[in-house]
Amino acid sequence: MIQEKVRFQPFSSEPIRLIDEQGRWIAPFEHGLPPDRLQRFYRDMLAARLLDEKLVILIRTGKTSFIAPHAGHEAAQVGIAHALRKGHDWLFPYYRDMGLVLALGVPLVEIFGQTLGNAADPAKGRQMPSHPGSKALNVFTVCSAIASHIPPATGAALSMKLRRTGQVAVCTFGDGATSEGDWHAGINFAAVQQAPAVFVCENNRYAISVNISKQTASENIAIKAQAYGMPGYYVDGLDVLASYFVMQEAIERARAGQGPSLVELVVHRFGAHSSADDDSRYRSREELAAERQQDPLLRYQRFLEQQGLWDARWANELRLEISKALEAALQEALQAGEPDPLEMFDDVYAARPWHLEEQRRLVAEELQS
Amino acid sequence: MPTMTLIQAINAALDEEMKRDERVMLLGEDVGKRGGVFLATEGLQQKYGPDRVMDTPLSEAAIIGAAVGLAAHGMRPVAEIQFADYVFPGIDQLFSQAAKLRYRSGGQFSAPMVVRMPTGGGVKGGHHHSQSPEAHFAHTAGLKVIVVSTPYDAKGLLKAAIRNDDPVVFMEPKRLYRAVKEEVPADDFLLPIGKAAVRREGRDITLVSYGGPMVETLKAAEEMVAAGLDPEVIDLRTVMPWDKETVLASVAKTGRLLMISEAPRTASIASEVTATVSEELFDQLLAPPLRVSGFDTPYPLAQDKLYMPTVTRILAAAKRLLDY
Ligand SMILES: Cc1ncc(C[n+]2csc(CCOP(=O)(O)OP(=O)(O)O)c2C)c(N)n1
Ligand SMILES: [Mg+2]
Repeated sequence: MIQEKVRFQPFSSEPIRLIDEQGRWIAPFEHGLPPDRLQRFYRDMLAARLLDEKLVILIRTGKTSFIAPHAGHEAAQVGIAHALRKGHDWLFPYYRDMGLVLALGVPLVEIFGQTLGNAADPAKGRQMPSHPGSKALNVFTVCSAIASHIPPATGAALSMKLRRTGQVAVCTFGDGATSEGDWHAGINFAAVQQAPAVFVCENNRYAISVNISKQTASENIAIKAQAYGMPGYYVDGLDVLASYFVMQEAIERARAGQGPSLVELVVHRFGAHSSADDDSRYRSREELAAERQQDPLLRYQRFLEQQGLWDARWANELRLEISKALEAALQEALQAGEPDPLEMFDDVYAARPWHLEEQRRLVAEELQS
Repeated sequence: MPTMTLIQAINAALDEEMKRDERVMLLGEDVGKRGGVFLATEGLQQKYGPDRVMDTPLSEAAIIGAAVGLAAHGMRPVAEIQFADYVFPGIDQLFSQAAKLRYRSGGQFSAPMVVRMPTGGGVKGGHHHSQSPEAHFAHTAGLKVIVVSTPYDAKGLLKAAIRNDDPVVFMEPKRLYRAVKEEVPADDFLLPIGKAAVRREGRDITLVSYGGPMVETLKAAEEMVAAGLDPEVIDLRTVMPWDKETVLASVAKTGRLLMISEAPRTASIASEVTATVSEELFDQLLAPPLRVSGFDTPYPLAQDKLYMPTVTRILAAAKRLLDY
């Protein structure tokens, strides 16, 4: 689909918003989306929220070692997922994107396998939880090192351009990531080459404990795009349809050969940074309580209600259905058992050199005795 | 004398040095209100203010590079890198700037700075919260590299590193942060950089290690003692420049060297120590020096424990040396 018209202006001083706090559609255009599609956004946001709650239970019961809660990011993540051509475009996510990869279609069993680090993980339990990836869905396996995936996203986009595949590389990251040199290096190169990439900041205004005021002196993140010669969109990331429509325009613009964009989705981080963090050390409970009032699910629920597309019964059924699917997938993943310890020596290279053969033999002998 | 964990000893060393010398300042990610993700800098921003305990943008290049400039201009910066695994975006600043400033200016400029970082595995940290990159640093001329294993050493060596006139990489095994408490003098004391500690004297075999695996090394030594053997145990503490004199004197006595480290085996500190001993003590060795080390793979989450040098592995290697 080639973009018919340009709806959004870059570098706005206020965040782009299509649905207000009361759930009213305030955009100057019709959304034109069918009811089932509108409900699907809600379903995916609810699934993301319930997944987050499930992960919190797994950490509390000691079944996993780490989580990076994504509650508060659901509208942004679901908006991104719906704007991508699933399985065609590439996604370069970061560790807070479990809701995004779920909405993109990464199977729940794989998500739980990765969370448990067991044999149900397609990545063989190699990485910490919250580091998903899927070759089948073109989800570039997450790397913990902040912003290290930005230049690779540029490279993949460059390949898409050179090979004329009609794909787009979408790369997500947090506000903290924009301070790393790799971030600037990757974004600059993408702009110079007019590579079909969309860089998306899920701006929750915190990098662990560090407030955005200590991260950048810029007015916002989107404005940084100006210096690199690409459009930057400042968007209310608690508004799922604003996130979706802006992402869609940026992606189709890139696909049409008009170059990369930077999209800033302003969100909240409802949880601590991670299960290893205690955010009461640096963030007041009042601030957090005020943010929680702006729940992206609630705002979208109000919108759907006004369209006659939401009622408590439907929502409860949905909740039940998703919870069941989550539990079933978790049980299936739990059955998978531990990965083969000797897999430690696979995938370092395409084939094992002599030294890894030696080291593998040592461990194999140890395991036998 | 107060008893302290390793992390408390580091906090105390930073506090004392900041009190002693107002040129000492801390910078890094989350070091302020949060007190660092491991709480090494807890309470220090409240005490010394945000100019001397500075939360930086999320950029290791900015942290290390700014430390070089701060140091060259007369401050004594102590940079915190949140995990050793995240030093890599700052490596150009550490290797091209910090390490070579003195040399490239013919001694006119220098960067007396410390770069602290939690290191090592065994905490279910997967690829990027488990690595032991000390060999990269040791391989870069101009950097001194310390890897501590006890609270006492942590305090004495960190204070010495801050007063040292060269850039020092100060590595703190995160699995030991709260593992043990020991008595650490509350007053000012310094330990010499480049000097190993003999943890146990013995005559049958020399076990050399540093950092995290000192735990397994000492346990293995205990088991050997229980079995009627008499091992000598050396903690290198500084891996660049490492204490050749102490190691050679020990191996000259025992004739057997077992070097234990959790870093990948190839091109490691363990390789360096065993090669040097082979070169210099060839005719006094009763067996070829051996290494027990981490593997030449990225650090895997699922095999977190298997990756580490275990007591079993140390004892098996020691047996090979003793039976040779
Ligand atoms: C290169 C690097 N440095 C430090 C870290 C440690 N770290 C993990 S997450 C994080 C904060 C990231 O904040 P942000 O980019 O805003 O993303 P958010 O977690 O808020 O979604 C830090 C400093 C890291 N993972 N990689
Ligand atoms: Mg953030």
